[in-house]
Amino acid sequence: MKNHGIIENLKSMVPTVKPSSLFGWSVFWALVLLPALVWAQDAATQAMSVEYRDIPGLGSRNVVWVVAQQHLLLAGFVLGVPIFAWVCEIVGWKTKEARYDKLAKEFTKLLTSAYATTALFGGILLFLLIGLYPKLMAYLSDIFFPSFIVYCLLFLLETVTLYLYWYGWDAMQGNKKTFHLFLGFLLNVFALGIMIVPNAWATFQASPVVVAEGTAIDRAWAATWNPTWWPVNIHRLIANVVLGGFICGAYAGIRYLLAASQEEREHYDWMGYVGNFIGVFGMLPLPFAGYWLMREIYQYNQQMGITLMGGFLAWLFILQAMLIGVLFLGANYYFWMGITYRIPGSERSYRRPILAMLIVLMVCLGVWMTPHSLVASLEEARKMGGTHHPLLGVFGVMSAKMTVANLMILVTFMSFIMYWRAGKQETAAWAKIAKAVMGALLVIAGIAVIVLGVWGYFVPAIIRINYFSVAQVLIVLFVMVTFTPLTAVLMKSAKTTTEMVWGRMPIRAGYALVSNAVMVILLMSLMGYARSSSRVHWHIYGVMRDTSEYAYSPALGYAAAFMSLNTFVFCLLVAFIFWVATMGDKGKKTPDQEEPEPAKIPAGVTPAMAGGAPREKA
Amino acid sequence: MSEVALLQLIGLTVVGLGICILLFIKGKFLRVVGFVVIVLGTFTLIALGVPQMASLPPAIETFDIAEVKTPDDLASIGQKIFFSKGQCALCHSIGPSESARCPDLKGIGAKLAPEFIYESLTDPQAYIYLDFRHEGLPKEYPARMPYIHKNPIALSQQEIYSVISFLQKMSGEPISVKIEDVMNIGKENEMEVASLTVNGAP
Repeated sequence: MKNHGIIENLKSMVPTVKPSSLFGWSVFWALVLLPALVWAQDAATQAMSVEYRDIPGLGSRNVVWVVAQQHLLLAGFVLGVPIFAWVCEIVGWKTKEARYDKLAKEFTKLLTSAYATTALFGGILLFLLIGLYPKLMAYLSDIFFPSFIVYCLLFLLETVTLYLYWYGWDAMQGNKKTFHLFLGFLLNVFALGIMIVPNAWATFQASPVVVAEGTAIDRAWAATWNPTWWPVNIHRLIANVVLGGFICGAYAGIRYLLAASQEEREHYDWMGYVGNFIGVFGMLPLPFAGYWLMREIYQYNQQMGITLMGGFLAWLFILQAMLIGVLFLGANYYFWMGITYRIPGSERSYRRPILAMLIVLMVCLGVWMTPHSLVASLEEARKMGGTHHPLLGVFGVMSAKMTVANLMILVTFMSFIMYWRAGKQETAAWAKIAKAVMGALLVIAGIAVIVLGVWGYFVPAIIRINYFSVAQVLIVLFVMVTFTPLTAVLMKSAKTTTEMVWGRMPIRAGYALVSNAVMVILLMSLMGYARSSSRVHWHIYGVMRDTSEYAYSPALGYAAAFMSLNTFVFCLLVAFIFWVATMGDKGKKTPDQEEPEPAKIPAGVTPAMAGGAPREKA
Repeated sequence: MSEVALLQLIGLTVVGLGICILLFIKGKFLRVVGFVVIVLGTFTLIALGVPQMASLPPAIETFDIAEVKTPDDLASIGQKIFFSKGQCALCHSIGPSESARCPDLKGIGAKLAPEFIYESLTDPQAYIYLDFRHEGLPKEYPARMPYIHKNPIALSQQEIYSVISFLQKMSGEPISVKIEDVMNIGKENEMEVASLTVNGAP
């Protein structure tokens, strides 16, 4: 069907070269393009006769669902971890604290173990898609073929850089450290490329643009710049950091539960803290990115937005609220446990604020989870004369939900600030004024967010969406960008009154970390289903219709069972990968070194990421 | 047993299994697995508790050109093509719209002759605007409109005339496309038209 098109595309892609370099170019293109060309031609030829294939008993869509979800989750982890591993390495290099370098290396170890599995699932997914959806794949390859090549090159570069980065870790210490850091930078640049290129394929399916005539590159470029490409890129970039952080946190949590020595407990307690910190750090701006994405979807196609938020997927957002709520509670709970157990004596001064924060979070969660209309069967809805209660009307509306989402972010941010300040006493002369200003700012911000939320009930939706919701987001962001540097400066000169004690967290702290990771994985699975279902019966929205027997979107219950299955499989997979990775460490044990030496935390030193200051020496 | 009831039964079994692991197994890792299983089972049960609605696709509409009796029939087909196979609504709106990336087509059937619309669809670069917003010679400013009769949209002539009929009708103009001409164009008798009624929930 598209056979001639692909060949023309290839011709148009071949650059003008000098005769001297012709051989080199020929070899290069032959190596890179030939397998892809053969595959693309095969796919196109097959597409002429077969539109779909099925896997009897299992169903092609179910199989692709599981494999794609595993690949995406692994890819999220693999692309998210290098970001904070590299940041950790920089922190270690700047502060000269070896423990950060060791932590960064441990993160990278998990990354290398997961990398091959990610690629494996990517390969399986590709073969399944070619085999089960030949017509769709022929269409997509006709449009995106040049970006396939870019993707392959990026993958090669990423692999080479990762090998150098991991295997060169010990060799590139001292003078060569800056080069190693540069490799880490490159790793992240290539990882970003690897993420955004396939995002173009997926977002084109959801928000296609008309692909006009032109060269192969012109057409691929036009399709790549579709309206939801960058919103999804940003959202996924942040989400990957969150996923990576919480998974590393869960890994540390489990290792903490299994730890045999106090040293191990201390190390994994600290690692769990860092993982949770990274997860929370990413989680705070994530709703804003999600909001932007939804806005773009509405702007692109209002019907798609309505399908998501008000159509058959409306209840999905109640589940999303529940998962996010539990995640916020889990992350805060872990912070509060940290204050209680790591900073002895602090719990007395923070008991009341913690209780207040818990109440606020629970109330917010209750509001967020309130559905728009009653849970009613079709028969009950018929009796009511609609989905809304005849007397009570509509329940949970967006204005209230946006408000509580912002308040929950504020509370979580304040939990972090509280943890940061616990066990320290400010010594700066202007500390009192700064704290008063911050307190006033927090109260004003909270009131402003609530006022805008209530006001939102009385203005047209477009005003609320375009101005009020944006103002709420900006207010919360303002608090975050004001408080963080101010607290950092305050803590720099602060005196440590209570030493941070690691390795004393209760068992439930480990479970809290695991719970956070499970919530994030479920959330990603849930929103993946939402994005896919928002296309309803289209492979490519409005362009290529799904004419297979699986053109329907399953109900939430069935989908949730699949999400749970996917989450469980992914957790087992990650546990296996990490077990294999640590098995190698045990193999290296020598009689002199029975256990791998955990990174020791200097006594009295609080984590730099929490803005802790070294203990004041008497 | 319905699918929901079966899934609820599985969910309850999974949660029960997790509780048993936590109660009777001492192994720390297995206890974590039990905890995860309880969380996932509970999530599934909650999701099964909300209204279960699947999104079913609308029926694929087909029309027989022989059954087209009036110009309005043709315009009705053109409307469906406009919002589906023709992909016109991806960029154009009918009436003012913030999200439209290309000209608003409201009243276009009254402003332009059908021949000109046909040419705009099949040869969008026939009239090139010149961009004077810079120094030096003006640059050509080609339309972003695709060739509607070529891949990937590839509307047939009959389909293009149907769309023109729709544009004329929605502009309040008499439909000048003649049914006899459309019938004589091609030999294909059936055209598949996919409706853009996206929410097919019953």
